[in-house]
Amino acid sequence: MSDDKNHAGQDEDTSKGDVAFIQALAELLNRNDLTELSVKREYSENDRLTVSLSKQGKQVVQTYAPAPALSLPAAPAVAAQAPAPAATASEDPASLPGIVTSPMVGTAYLAPEPGATAFVTVGAQVKEGETLLIVEAMKTMNHIPSPRSGTVKRILVDDGSPVEFGSPLMVVE
Amino acid sequence: MFDKILIANRGEIALRVVRACREMGIASVAVHSTADSDAMHVRMADESVCIGPPPSVDSYLSMSAIIAACEITGAQAIHPGYGFLSENATFVQMVEDHGIAFIGPSAEHIRIMGDKITAKETAKSLGIPVVPGSDGGVPDLIAAKRVAGEIGYPVIIKATAGGGGRGMKVALDEDGIETAFRTARSEAKAAFGNDEVYIEKYLQRPRHIEIQVFGDGKGRAVHLGERDCSLQRRHQKVLEEAPGPVITPEQRAEIGGICSSAMAKLGYRGAGTIEFLFEDGEFYFIEMNTRLQVEHPVTEAIFGVDLVRQQILVAAGEEMEFRQEDLKIRGHAIEVRINAEKLPNFTPSPGRISQYHAPGGLGVRMDAAIYDGYRIPPYYDSLIGKLIVHGRDRHEALARLDRALGELIVDGVDTTVPLFRALLENPDIQNGDYSIHWLERWLARLADPNS
Repeated sequence: MSDDKNHAGQDEDTSKGDVAFIQALAELLNRNDLTELSVKREYSENDRLTVSLSKQGKQVVQTYAPAPALSLPAAPAVAAQAPAPAATASEDPASLPGIVTSPMVGTAYLAPEPGATAFVTVGAQVKEGETLLIVEAMKTMNHIPSPRSGTVKRILVDDGSPVEFGSPLMVVE
Repeated sequence: MFDKILIANRGEIALRVVRACREMGIASVAVHSTADSDAMHVRMADESVCIGPPPSVDSYLSMSAIIAACEITGAQAIHPGYGFLSENATFVQMVEDHGIAFIGPSAEHIRIMGDKITAKETAKSLGIPVVPGSDGGVPDLIAAKRVAGEIGYPVIIKATAGGGGRGMKVALDEDGIETAFRTARSEAKAAFGNDEVYIEKYLQRPRHIEIQVFGDGKGRAVHLGERDCSLQRRHQKVLEEAPGPVITPEQRAEIGGICSSAMAKLGYRGAGTIEFLFEDGEFYFIEMNTRLQVEHPVTEAIFGVDLVRQQILVAAGEEMEFRQEDLKIRGHAIEVRINAEKLPNFTPSPGRISQYHAPGGLGVRMDAAIYDGYRIPPYYDSLIGKLIVHGRDRHEALARLDRALGELIVDGVDTTVPLFRALLENPDIQNGDYSIHWLERWLARLADPNS
């Protein structure tokens, strides 16, 4: 089990509170038989806590080395039918037009470093080539560029979550 | 012991490893390309991770994707199966550098045996018999005659820089050596720009006999007898059997003992196969495969052991569950490789399997990764299943094979099943009288009865 903590407030009480919070999360993980859990808390603008828990002794090392430029494969396949504006439970996000899928297996990060502002949020305008998120594989941070200019309609992954090759990451239209 | 193992392979061998993991209470992770999302190994494993697009180089051969899949699933060990990355020393090093166990030998042993020249030198230094030859270039005709006289005719003269049959000439006796030597030299010069040649003993109708070895990586090693894999087409094995129809218990004990003590000296870890050509009672080393073989089930059948289980045990630092004296041969086993190929030219035949029925009954094992409605993707090799039969003796095994082939149904694609039905009717096969050239000659006669 590992955790990542980036907490600006260093006073002892907050630290103790954080430890208790993380322990509670760990129990939650075990009780519900989850393999992974990630929580972000914003106390104030410069004071936040990010916790990622996972069960298999996985080390999510968050040393953000400069990542090599990544060449994204050709734009992902786009389904012919019009998208349903409201997402339904049975909807397959991979078939949405404007879908951006993961070019590799790894761990998705929405921000350049723990606690930093996310690259993009829902509703943001992005230019083609602008970084949407990072997929970390083998300790290398791979920036995933937007395949087109447009608006970020949906973000389909959580910070720190594992992604497969072809996993839907975001919708940019 | 590991809690979770990732299987860096596909098809029947991935399923084979899933089965061993399940019996050992270990969770399994399948990796797959987008072409294999519906594959049986993906369905049967506890977890699956899509690691890339259809081409193997971007998925099953992508070292970074496979290691990343270990990281996100928390798998502690990788089983490589056969083919793909199973004999890639760089991959093994990378896996171990990431703190993941590789279920197989060390990177160093893979590297040694992966290089033909180092492998032969190592084999020789470990006391394994090799093809007698000149040990390097032969400068002139006088030296050629002397070497050939020492090793005995017939001999073959080969280009040092060569390959692919060019610059290779056979001399049946001393009268033929001059022509053969000069022709080989000039062909070598023309083909490779280098006229250096070497001389080896020429085997006329050898059999392919391979010895299964197993080591614990700490200096203990055993052998599990031989497999006869002489029935080959274009160096692809088609039918394998164990024990070999012409190997005596004395020959087995001698060559097996040489191989197991060589592996003990090397400190070899896991399953390995030492391949030999066998002619007139003598074994000649060809190469060593530092992995599980496709045909391992025939050995499992006659010794009653699970080799994948033993691989996992020694990779986790535990002891293998047998000593040499525990390993006794019971009966005879034969494996045939069911490929999605159209006869007579063995053209790949991918497509949708409309109906699949596996044979059953006493002594029948079907290792396949297909099901009704499964679509065989065109990107990978054509092996779709292996049928293994085990009988009290060779005669019973042959009858059982014929019976099981009759029960097997694979509709919708062409398979190599009709080849095996025809082979079983041939007296040479019934008598076990065949060499490595037998199958290609038989197929050539079928194609052109006048040849």
